[in-house]
Amino acid sequence: MQQTPVLELINLKKSIKGKEIVKGVTLTLYPSQIFGFLGPNGAGKTTTIRMIVGLITPTEGSVTICGHSVAHDFVKALSNIGCIIESPDMYNYLTGMENLLQFAAMDKRITQQRIKDVVEMVGLQHRVNDRAHTYSLGMRQRLGIAQAIMSKPKLLILDEPTNGLDPAGMTEFRQLIRTLAYEEGMSVFVSSHLLMEIQQMCDVVSIIKQGSVITTANVQDILHDDKIEWQLNHPEKAIALLSEHWAINAVQLKKNTISADINQHPLDKINECFIKEGLALTYCSAKQSTLEDLFLELTEGDEIV
Amino acid sequence: MFSLIENEVIKMISKKRLMFVFAILVVLITIFAYGQNQSLAKTKAQLSQRMGVTATDDWRKLADQQIITIKNRLDSPYMDEKSKSSSRVRMEQLQYNLDNNINPLEQSAAKFTTKFMEQAIFLFLPLLIIMLSSDMVSGESSNGTIKLLLVRNVPRWKILLSKYLTLMVLEVIVVFFSFVASAIISGFFFGFGGWFAPVATGFKVLAGQLDSTGVRNVPQWQYSLMVYSLAYFVAFVVGSISFMISVLVKSTAASIGIIMSTLVAGNFISFFLSDWKITRYMFMVNLRLTDYLSGSFQPIEGMNMVFSIYVLLGWAIASIIISFVYFTKQDILV
Repeated sequence: MQQTPVLELINLKKSIKGKEIVKGVTLTLYPSQIFGFLGPNGAGKTTTIRMIVGLITPTEGSVTICGHSVAHDFVKALSNIGCIIESPDMYNYLTGMENLLQFAAMDKRITQQRIKDVVEMVGLQHRVNDRAHTYSLGMRQRLGIAQAIMSKPKLLILDEPTNGLDPAGMTEFRQLIRTLAYEEGMSVFVSSHLLMEIQQMCDVVSIIKQGSVITTANVQDILHDDKIEWQLNHPEKAIALLSEHWAINAVQLKKNTISADINQHPLDKINECFIKEGLALTYCSAKQSTLEDLFLELTEGDEIV
Repeated sequence: MFSLIENEVIKMISKKRLMFVFAILVVLITIFAYGQNQSLAKTKAQLSQRMGVTATDDWRKLADQQIITIKNRLDSPYMDEKSKSSSRVRMEQLQYNLDNNINPLEQSAAKFTTKFMEQAIFLFLPLLIIMLSSDMVSGESSNGTIKLLLVRNVPRWKILLSKYLTLMVLEVIVVFFSFVASAIISGFFFGFGGWFAPVATGFKVLAGQLDSTGVRNVPQWQYSLMVYSLAYFVAFVVGSISFMISVLVKSTAASIGIIMSTLVAGNFISFFLSDWKITRYMFMVNLRLTDYLSGSFQPIEGMNMVFSIYVLLGWAIASIIISFVYFTKQDILV
């Protein structure tokens, strides 16, 4: 059975002042997916996201959210969205709680209890009554997320969410999003130019370059080919064993290091065999090929236009 | 809708903008009232020096004399209708003063309150309104919160309407507050009375001349009411125009700058009024509506109360339409 997509972009185009910034983006996002939208700076990520949430009118194409067109049924479509567009700008002269109340007042579905819950979910309960201008960037992000998830949206849209956060803040933030997506059953659409972020957070990734989507794939599929590295005392013997028992072609990398693509073969069996044969195994690790390789491969040799 | 307006009011109060406007009003009115008091004392001193009478004691004699002179003049067959009516109005005022024992030299809270708004209506009041309106929309653009506001499940026109209605409510509050504040503050200087004294109004311009045929007296309170109603109308017009600029311009500073310079420019553009016809269609030169009531304006062919009100109304309506069309269509790129 086909589920109703949470988000569907069909041939979305936008020209600003005669320059085509987004050149026909088509995407589909299904429930409870975390979708990564990856691209270098200036690729059209933010413009695409702004079209999704209705801040910008597309020149061509359509945006459908949970079956409602943003162009024709704005209110219903936007009822299913929570978002942070770029930096989480808040009313600095209001407290965190007053900020939330401002946005809560715009949506009748949000109850007092829900506001309280959300504040606890993002871990802001101790500072929520301070004015927003005293907040650190990390806390603003949290407040931003709080306002985005208040209405229990089906789709959470985050545009460059970790921009400006330090590594600890990033990790914390990713954890928060993961938890929220899981606990609240939301789909998340996250744009980023940070590869690691997408790789660690997302199920599906779309790579955009100069306004067009180059590829869309499951993150796991992209990262499937696991290479294993061993450090042991007799590399020649190990290579022989691998090809003899599993028909695996291994290569010697350094003096005591060999590497091989083991495909679906069980690593524990291989290691057991090595040890039985009297090899002294000092180190063994799986080395994933990263999204970075793919990204660089795909976006190779591009200049910002 | 109500909760949206409530939101806007909370923002306005938290920004301390409204308190600031109130503070300015109180300070300025106090200074004005004090100044008036001082100059009044000086005038009295001068009068008694020059005429050898204490103005406070002998004003009744003077008034009696004036009434007799006017009566004589009214009986004269050579007098035309125009001067007759203005003389009659003058006589009524003198008679009222005598009957109620009011020294015409003395100020009253009622007089001051009216005078204050007559002076404030073309520049000071608009400036206060601009303080409130100019960052209502541009403020959201310049600090980026407009993005959060427009991605709710509320259509854009509703958001703008809530802001506009809030502004209209604030205009009422500001005009009402300036009335109350000047009535109370000046009351401490001049006493709280004077609300029933007659004031002349009903001037017209006919063939480039001030025509006082229709002049009559109305009680001061009624006159004040007219002045403050006109003040609200001016506040509404200036508010609408500055609201539009706030929608069109993304930065608060630019928005304030544009509307302020326009207003100030209006003060010297009116200099060209008589020979450069197009200037009379600018909103800035039509703001002195109260001058039509008191007959203290420079008579210009074709310009009267109705003309000015239509011109201002035209500007306000155009501003509202432009604001809504632009706001609902624009791409938010900040």
